Amino acid sequence: MLAVENLRVVYHDVISVLNGISLNLEEGELLVIIGANGAGKTTLLRAVSGMIDFYDGDIIEGDIKLRGSSIRGMDTVGIMKHHGLTYVMEDRPVFWYLTIEENLGAAAFSRWSGNVKADMEKAYQYFPPLRGLARKKAGYASGGEQQMLAIAMALMTQPRILLLDEPSLGLAPLITEELFAIIKRLNESGISVMLVEQNASAALEIGTKGYVMELGRIVLEGKADELAANKDVREFYLGSGEKARKSYRDAKRYKRRKRWL
Amino acid sequence: MSDLFQALGSGLLVGLVYSLLGLCIVIVYKASEAFNFAVGEFMVTGSFLFYIIFFDLHFPFLLAFPLGLAAAAAAGALIETVTIRPLIGRSPIAMTIITLGLAFFIRACLQLIFGSHSYSFFLELPDISIDAGELLFLSDPLWAGILALLTFCLVMFFLFRTRWGLAVRATSENQAKAMAFGINAKMILLIVWAASSACIAVAGIMISNFGALSTMSSIVGLRAIPVVLIGGMDSIGGALAGGIIVGICESLVGAYIEPMGLTGSKEVAPYILLLAVVLIRPYGLFGTVRIERV
Repeated sequence: MLAVENLRVVYHDVISVLNGISLNLEEGELLVIIGANGAGKTTLLRAVSGMIDFYDGDIIEGDIKLRGSSIRGMDTVGIMKHHGLTYVMEDRPVFWYLTIEENLGAAAFSRWSGNVKADMEKAYQYFPPLRGLARKKAGYASGGEQQMLAIAMALMTQPRILLLDEPSLGLAPLITEELFAIIKRLNESGISVMLVEQNASAALEIGTKGYVMELGRIVLEGKADELAANKDVREFYLGSGEKARKSYRDAKRYKRRKRWL
Repeated sequence: MSDLFQALGSGLLVGLVYSLLGLCIVIVYKASEAFNFAVGEFMVTGSFLFYIIFFDLHFPFLLAFPLGLAAAAAAGALIETVTIRPLIGRSPIAMTIITLGLAFFIRACLQLIFGSHSYSFFLELPDISIDAGELLFLSDPLWAGILALLTFCLVMFFLFRTRWGLAVRATSENQAKAMAFGINAKMILLIVWAASSACIAVAGIMISNFGALSTMSSIVGLRAIPVVLIGGMDSIGGALAGGIIVGICESLVGAYIEPMGLTGSKEVAPYILLLAVVLIRPYGLFGTVRIERV
């Protein structure tokens, strides 16, 4: 459904962030991408959603295809309208000075159909806590509520593919669990999801397939449960290696000169 | 006592026009984070466009007015496309400085085309002067106040009651977020600049109607600076309040202090008030209270 082919992205013409990434998202999958800070996960989502221009980045090589047609060079609104792909940015991208209801309305702007109310109702069913806050300014909502609102806003755009950038950022473990359960439900209702996460264990639990990114490359891929069982992934991302405890120096992979490729 | 009411009343009427100018700066500032210093030149451009349609082409007023505003909106859109759009996502300071340059550029162009002499400008709107005992409000300022207030309300309605207005407010808060949720930020900016240009033209036409139109009328645009700074750069209600405060301050000073021999104090008074307000409240009287989560 979504195919990224050998993608290279450069910021400000000099900073190379993605160095030839290829991946596939099949219909109905819940794809998990894990990786350390600076691995290029967010850049990948920006490139796929057409936001890369705004951040002064360029796709210098490779292609992104949705159902076989290239979307390279299309703008965000076009990609959303024609391919139903919605990108939920990291750090709870809600409009702080609008009420929750207005936030949902603003997210429905890109389409002109009249059944916005019905969609809002559907969003409230996925995220019941939002209903009571409808008239409250989003800036005053809690972190968990804001993240729920962000995903609810994405639902208002009627996505077929949802790109989620670190929805668990800064949330309590219980809220994260709840949120991931809802993401799983959304996926089961037919939305393909690409989930970028730092919280690898929680993400791999709900995912169907996983990729590990490092320094702008895919270094490992596989079924989510296989990845979760992988020795290196366990050590680097899940925090449980073979030995019970290692010194901090050993855990720093660059010092150990460990390379995946 | 009637002096006071007379001064307050005329101050209010002029103040409403200033409010409209302030509103135009505020919506542009909120949407693109640039302070439009060329507001006076936008005003004169709009007025001249209307002048051509109404006085030169002899269209009837009810047709010429919307046509003039449409022409002003088109001019605003053109200016946005050429000068502001390439800077989207860059420093807002750069945009602000662009508008400074635009001010000189537009003024020079207008002088080149229309010369620097005055054009007489009488709309001959129906006479609605109020003459109640010792109070006298002339027809022209009344029309100016009414039309400015109407335009202000229209903009408010657009911003707070329509889905386009909602999109404008969302984009004003954060362009990247708006784009990610499918709002075409570039188009929204274009609409904001065009709408602000049209509203500035309303103010310009009303102000020209007090006397004459010349390229030097753009000085009035400077009045918009104390208006928005007193009211708060990002507050729409503040623009209304700031405009009225500046208008009343001006007319009170004109009625009570100028006769004491301080000629010209009327022109300076709003800026002195501005200094006082900004010293006490740096964000203006109604500047947004930033949402801070703790």
